[in-house]
Amino acid sequence: MNSEASQRGLPHESTVAHQTRVAARAFLPVLRRLDRDLTLPVPDRLRILRELEFDLEELCDRLEARGMSAEDARNRAVDALMPDGATLRELDRLHAPHYRRLTRHFRPGRLRTLERSALALITTAVLFAETIVLLRADWLRSPPPFLWPVLGLGALLFAAIAAQLFKLWVKHDHRDPERNFRIILWLSGLTLATGIFGALADFFRLAEALEAEPGLAGSLLPEWLVGSCVLLAFSLLLALAGGLAWFIASQWLAILAGARSELLGHHPSGSLASVRTSTSRGAAGGARQMPDPVPVHHPGSMGEIP
Amino acid sequence: MTETNPPGDQEFDAQGFARGIHELLVLAVLREGPRHGYQIALDVESDSNGVFRFRHGTLYPILHRMEANGLILGRWSRGKGRRKKIYALTDIGRGHLSGETNRVQEILSRLLRMLRRAQEVPA
Repeated sequence: MNSEASQRGLPHESTVAHQTRVAARAFLPVLRRLDRDLTLPVPDRLRILRELEFDLEELCDRLEARGMSAEDARNRAVDALMPDGATLRELDRLHAPHYRRLTRHFRPGRLRTLERSALALITTAVLFAETIVLLRADWLRSPPPFLWPVLGLGALLFAAIAAQLFKLWVKHDHRDPERNFRIILWLSGLTLATGIFGALADFFRLAEALEAEPGLAGSLLPEWLVGSCVLLAFSLLLALAGGLAWFIASQWLAILAGARSELLGHHPSGSLASVRTSTSRGAAGGARQMPDPVPVHHPGSMGEIP
Repeated sequence: MTETNPPGDQEFDAQGFARGIHELLVLAVLREGPRHGYQIALDVESDSNGVFRFRHGTLYPILHRMEANGLILGRWSRGKGRRKKIYALTDIGRGHLSGETNRVQEILSRLLRMLRRAQEVPA
């Protein structure tokens, strides 16, 4: 558990110690409920919850110091500081990602079509850029046959990375990140495997040709060498780019999941999954039902700010 | 107070004015020094003898909107072993407070004049 936690940039802590520390916090059910009700991106939501938790505990301490019982103090603190429905909506509106605000007038179907078109455009542009690079370097005079599948996979890989980065950092949609990262990792592996397989296949073709015509060695060998180097270099670079993108994005999500786990008591072992559960409830309509042991009263008061 | 129109020829936005009052209350409290969210609410309540109170977390959207508009600056710090967000007044907020104080004063004096005149008229 600890090694996994350290791999994800989280502090070393045993499951029991973590759960004990989390359970000692009085406002955890309230914070979990708020976490469920807010539809903000995870980082913003965590900042709001952390700010609220400090204020709740501060007010509770003050009320207890005045002689109020712990339970009454907790209820009063929740009543005073816990956002009601209108306040939650206002917080959601205030912290909505820029993308959501900019595209709020678009119909969902139309927006999805636009996003997919942009993705197709990126794939084509990357493929075009790869071809230009190869033409400039004059490597396309006798390209190895497996270069085209590698370039195609590379373009798909870049499109997948662009789509994932767009989803995470522009749309702030953290739903099902594991599946999307697996796609990037699979595409990286497939690109590299195709490159290696292509180089090996070319090598056997060369051996076959040299066996038939040993005199062609002087012209075939340099051609094979350049072709294989290009193929391997391209597949390796593309796979590395994919791996790096996967690593950065998964580390970022692991840090988020760690912070969320620390605040809301979900143990780091379920880091990515817990982020997924919490963010997908916006679309799924609330999967978790947390108990709410602290009753909330909303009495009106003279001069109170609405 | 950013949404409030100045009194005069322009149409007076009563809702914006009410929203602006909340911001002015926060700015007035923060002029005395940086504070965290709940402390701001407490100071507003005690300074106004309980006339103004923030309930049901209404303070947070106000603080976050003001932070986004650059009127206040929120910084995370550690206190009593817990992380807390401390808000401080910015130069923009300071300028906004002095400008809006004059405007509110003008609006309220007009309102009072109207109300007093209404009282003078025999029923």
